[in-house]
Amino acid sequence: MTKQLQDAYIVAATRTPIGKAPRGMFRNTRPDDLLVYAIQSAMAQVPGLDPKLIEDAIIGCSFPEGESGLNMARNAVLLAGLPNTVGGVTVNRFCASGITAVAMAADRIRVGQADVMIAGGAESMSMVPMGGFHPSINMGVFKDENVGMAYGMGLTAENVAKQWKITREAQDQFALESHQRAIAGQQAGEFDNETTAVEIVDRVPNLSSGEIELKRRSVNRDEGARADSTLAALAKLKPVFAAKGSVTAGNSSQTSDGAGALILVSEKILKQFNLTPLARFMSFAVRGVPPEIMGIGPKEAIPVACRAAGITQDQLDWIELNEAFAAQSLAVIQDLGLDPAKVNPIGGAIALGHPLGATGAIRSATVIHALRRRNLKYGMVTMCVGTGMGAAGIFERM
Amino acid sequence: MSNFIVRKVAVLGAGVMGAQIAAHCVNAKVPVVLFDLPAKEGPKNGIVLKAIEGLKKLNPAPLGNKDDAACIEVANYDDNLELLKGCDLIIEAIAERMDWKHDLYKKVAPFIAPNAIFASNTSGLSITALSDGFDAALKERFCGVHFFNPPRYMHLVELIPTAATKPEILDQLEGFLVTTLGKGVVRAKDTPNFIANRVGVFSMMATMHEAEKFGLSCDVVDDLTGAKLGRAKSGTFRTADVVGLDTMGHVIKTMQDTLPNDPFAAIYKTPDVLTKLVAAGALGQKSGAGFYKKVGKEVQRLDFATGQYVAGGGKADDLVGRILKEKDPAKRMKALRESTNPQAQFLWAIFRDAFHYIAVHLEAIADNARDIDFAMRWGFGQKLGPFETWQAAGWQQVATWVKEDIDAGKALCAAPLPAWVFDGRTGVHAADGSWSPVRRANVPRAELPVYQRQIFRAPVLGEGAADGVTSGTTVFEDESVRIWHQNDEVLILSLKTKMHVIGAGVIAGLSKAIAEAEANYKGLVIWGADAADGGAFSAGADLQSMLPLFMSGGVKAIEPEVAKLQQAFQAMKYANVPVVSAVAGLALGGGCELALHTARRVASIESYIGLVEVGVGLIPAGGGLKEAALRAAADAKGNDLLQFLKTYFTNAAMASVSKSALEARQMGYLKPDDIIVFNPYELLHVAKVEARAMFDAGYRPPLPKLVPVAGRYAIGTIMMQLVNMRDGGFISAHDFKLGQMIATVVSGGDVDQGSLVSEQWLLDLERKAFMELLNHPKTQERIMGMMQTGKPVRN
Repeated sequence: MTKQLQDAYIVAATRTPIGKAPRGMFRNTRPDDLLVYAIQSAMAQVPGLDPKLIEDAIIGCSFPEGESGLNMARNAVLLAGLPNTVGGVTVNRFCASGITAVAMAADRIRVGQADVMIAGGAESMSMVPMGGFHPSINMGVFKDENVGMAYGMGLTAENVAKQWKITREAQDQFALESHQRAIAGQQAGEFDNETTAVEIVDRVPNLSSGEIELKRRSVNRDEGARADSTLAALAKLKPVFAAKGSVTAGNSSQTSDGAGALILVSEKILKQFNLTPLARFMSFAVRGVPPEIMGIGPKEAIPVACRAAGITQDQLDWIELNEAFAAQSLAVIQDLGLDPAKVNPIGGAIALGHPLGATGAIRSATVIHALRRRNLKYGMVTMCVGTGMGAAGIFERM
Repeated sequence: MSNFIVRKVAVLGAGVMGAQIAAHCVNAKVPVVLFDLPAKEGPKNGIVLKAIEGLKKLNPAPLGNKDDAACIEVANYDDNLELLKGCDLIIEAIAERMDWKHDLYKKVAPFIAPNAIFASNTSGLSITALSDGFDAALKERFCGVHFFNPPRYMHLVELIPTAATKPEILDQLEGFLVTTLGKGVVRAKDTPNFIANRVGVFSMMATMHEAEKFGLSCDVVDDLTGAKLGRAKSGTFRTADVVGLDTMGHVIKTMQDTLPNDPFAAIYKTPDVLTKLVAAGALGQKSGAGFYKKVGKEVQRLDFATGQYVAGGGKADDLVGRILKEKDPAKRMKALRESTNPQAQFLWAIFRDAFHYIAVHLEAIADNARDIDFAMRWGFGQKLGPFETWQAAGWQQVATWVKEDIDAGKALCAAPLPAWVFDGRTGVHAADGSWSPVRRANVPRAELPVYQRQIFRAPVLGEGAADGVTSGTTVFEDESVRIWHQNDEVLILSLKTKMHVIGAGVIAGLSKAIAEAEANYKGLVIWGADAADGGAFSAGADLQSMLPLFMSGGVKAIEPEVAKLQQAFQAMKYANVPVVSAVAGLALGGGCELALHTARRVASIESYIGLVEVGVGLIPAGGGLKEAALRAAADAKGNDLLQFLKTYFTNAAMASVSKSALEARQMGYLKPDDIIVFNPYELLHVAKVEARAMFDAGYRPPLPKLVPVAGRYAIGTIMMQLVNMRDGGFISAHDFKLGQMIATVVSGGDVDQGSLVSEQWLLDLERKAFMELLNHPKTQERIMGMMQTGKPVRN
């Protein structure tokens, strides 16, 4: 157990549906607008809580520029109608940005310097391309010892597949399972508690009438899962990151748009406002690995997070392991001996999508509600991170 | 003057031809609306929308720029007939059924504007019969306009008037087809299948007939009747497979139905083998099997005797190959006829049959012999038309041989050759025109205003007309170049080297031409005498000619030559009179760089432009990458340079070649104000007009300026992608090196972003990288491979 003054409790956890990028339902919906939906929905879940008590909103984003720029966190706070006394900071640890935001918010409470915090994440891969609008890399990267830093994520997944001998067939099978679990989860209404509906407004010029047509619709379901996915269809896809590789668009995570938000409070606040805690934040860990095999990152972070939480890996009941790629997911599961049944029981990023910096917050909402729904105790959100990291955060159901 | 302006075209029928005709209108910036039946299910314009989607996938591409598919307006006969009122030309291209066409005509006639031209793209139905039921006013404006598939690429369009068609609408339409759509127009009589298909399909039938007689297999026949005869590579049977055997069957059926009294009628009988194939669903390429069948990588041929597919690849006998290589056409024809080799006899037989047929039918189907030759050249891809072939081989001798064969019963029918064949003539084409049996005289070419735009018209053998090789006044000529003019204000530089490659001689000629133009002319046009004949603008630097220098002096000896090329192009760019490149066909490597350095490019729609040096392990060093950096800086106007540099980098790193002038414009090889010419015969005219106009508008060369470059920021970003491609196994280490070098040059070197550099700085970067590569064993391997096999080496 690490030293801390007090515990941090999650009293609200929600997220938007995840849209496909770049041509999905949120292609014209700004990430800060998605974030506003998530924050407002989270606030609505704790109507008694005085928003003036919120100290800060820590928001994860992998490419905080363009529509996600200008410190999106502070803008979303104000656009959500929160008091202007509430702070906002956008943080970036690529795919672990969201879980890092949750951990940082929890820590502000755990060290006793804040009582109410918002944590979240938002990403629009439709609007801000992977790599950003002006990618620029230090020339030092091209030295042989650093060249892995220049690798695209897919190429690192190929390296993991090769080094850990993860076959194409195993990857495709894993991908298929992700879709099947996600579809089953949707049909069983497993995502209902965690999801906030979003109203999409398309603004279309009607050239014949001269009017701008506003088309509004409300969406509440993730867009990526495919009921028609088959092994045969997956097997047909060509590798995209290496000429003789095994990683395809079908066994990789989808590019996506989405946002998530959580409200964390101290015990004092729980009592003062008579709030029901959903979960307690137990621990967070991050570890670095060689950039060229970044996908193996969770293997290093998970044991550290478990130790910090004071539990064994076997005690974890529900693991949200971000499926950046089937290859790295399988390598991590294999090396740590994780129980496949407990990993992504209702599908993962291959089916549901992966809005980079938002994923940590979104999957936190998933695990927190799942633990409650199934009456389980410990849950984890973990992922690999570009340029070689793994991150893991552990929650305990209350 | 009076203008005939086509503001908008309507195409009725979104089938293969209709959709492609509409696409070509869009290529030519002619607004077009494409009609078809309303769809029974789904969106009402579904049929047309599907056809437009199909255009993007067709190969060869009907559109010069796929995105322009959206420019085709969609319509259906239920809702949109009002749109016809705004169209100046309406082309009907629906299925070949007289009753369907008549039904449609009734429906659309009330909506046709009073001055609009109405034309049918039928490939064989009677135009006069089609116009039955029209009022007199519409009859005057109705004719046939027969495009060939694929319409963008096939030069021929047949124009077919009826007795009622007003002559001026034909002239107007011809002007539009020739200049705007770039076509070669032949006027045909209203007889079944008109000219090209009548003669062309007969020739195919005769070929099949004779092949059977001489016991030749289809692969051997195709080898004999393809490139070896100066015809389309696909020969006879393969062409039939491509056309579709069912379509062939329909065309043949039309001939059977409409030409029962033709003396050659027996030959129009559908061959049994064709009937059997069609019945079995083997319709040629589209169904995977016909006369040929592709099994894996192997192409098998149909064995006529057994009906089974067997190993193909049969070739002509060496002896016949040698005969066909004989340069003297008279000797060649004699050798074919006298040889005892069955393949040679077969070739003589198909020539004889064709000569026999066109002599008998000329009077009925065409105004004069020239029209038959053009129809076969432009519609069937023959280098020489059948009358030209006959005339070249010696008219009287060949006529006598044909007559002997007819008399001996060897010909396909007993119809005698017409008397005019033996009136002592030496051919059908002469200086005063081509033979017209109807008029009993030679008729000269049409002198419509549109043809004043063609300084040199499509040549006809025996006509002895001026051509671009010898005409005009020569100022200077050696083995590499001719510098000449047409007694006017514009000087012309024509490259004479093979594929117009650029070596020391061309560089010296270019300098001479610039000096001469600056002294005495308004401008200089660079134009190849074979530009309209598929010739290259320039296939690039002459590597072969540098080889001896390299062998004796190594890389050091080459560097001054590269510097000379760079300086010659710079001198041209900064010449005090405008230099206009008239681009057609290939402009690769150094040829592309030559064009890039001219003050303006006038490009034929069929221009294939690209910097392809990486194929031989080199990078462009004639200023091509320098121009990329300059163009990107101009495009960026101070914004993120890399965004604008990417396309240019990718063009060179991938050795991409444009598939049209329109695509070259997208790639940045043509600037927005460069001119695209649709008819290659008009290229020289337009280029000269342009040079003169630029001079008259007060031309000054560009002011030398320092330009901002993207520097190390761009190099780093591009290298990041290259690293992934290399380590992902998509490119070799040497490709990576080439990519890195191109990135470095177009970015101005490893300098700070936004640094200002001179053109010479960029040229020096190009040249140094080029020299380093020339010394590299992997590059040397690529160069040697290319010289030995003509194919790029991947290493």
